[in-house]
Amino acid sequence: MLRAARGQQQSQATIRSWNVVVFSVGGMKLAARTEDVGGVWPWTESIPVPSRTPFVQAMLKRDNHVMPVYDLATRLSRKLQGDPLLCLVARHLDGPMAICIDAEVPCLETVDVAAVRPNIREDVETLGMVTIGDEDVAIVALQHLGQSMQGAVRS
Amino acid sequence: MLMETVSFLVVRLGVNYVALPAAGVHGVLTQAEAGHEQTVTAAGVTYQPVDLAQRLSVLTDLSGLEMRTVLYSNGHSYGAIRVEQVVGLTDVERKDCFPLPPQFQRDERNWFAGMMLYQDQLVLILNPSWALGELADVVPVSVGQAKQIVAATPAAVSGSC
Repeated sequence: MLRAARGQQQSQATIRSWNVVVFSVGGMKLAARTEDVGGVWPWTESIPVPSRTPFVQAMLKRDNHVMPVYDLATRLSRKLQGDPLLCLVARHLDGPMAICIDAEVPCLETVDVAAVRPNIREDVETLGMVTIGDEDVAIVALQHLGQSMQGAVRS
Repeated sequence: MLMETVSFLVVRLGVNYVALPAAGVHGVLTQAEAGHEQTVTAAGVTYQPVDLAQRLSVLTDLSGLEMRTVLYSNGHSYGAIRVEQVVGLTDVERKDCFPLPPQFQRDERNWFAGMMLYQDQLVLILNPSWALGELADVVPVSVGQAKQIVAATPAAVSGSC
């Protein structure tokens, strides 16, 4: 019983903070939980794929693996900055998905879960908003990226 | 162990490489052989024009010397498909065909039966019934439905071809 209680306390303690990867898209700082990120590497040219799914219109080939590309920059109406651009691999519920991000190298931060506020942004799926440094940063829900676009029609 | 293979004719449309199941290929004609009419008649069969590039919204240049007209049939319909280049014929093991990732959720699920790698290129496997106009573009599907489609496709188990 005591052991269980200790375990509960520990798990409560561990969920008091989230480790996040802070990256930028078109100069906009964004974050994602580290467990939702499969890696970051240099961006390589993507292969366009005829598609009507909003923001999913290309694939990226790495060795013998291909994965869909999610065009987060276009969704956020941002122009990617820097050279060489980077690829962030999202651990999406449907499988890994590549996102092109700015050249600025992502960094790791720990955020207090209590400090995560509900998000007022409606332009991307998020887990909430947090202040990192002086900036309000949305924590992107990479696992569910694109799901709120269901039924939306791209203009 | 016997390996099950499927033959594909790989063609190029703009920057995209597309595979057609070779069993349906009745012929490949040059511009001179196909003539300037949109409809092609060969061996007494009339092949209706299929503007694949337009249907896939792909930019192509069909004025090049490598342009070919692929005469194609699935047994019900007959189409003359103009492509920018015929890249080659290949035999692919079923296990080397993959379904379209479930993140692709709309009409493209109807357009392509799957994908594969050929000469280090990503090749999309065309759904002949759709290409020949037998299937209307599908209505948008939800993520859940898209997953069900993937799960229900043999491709999920043993390749997409």
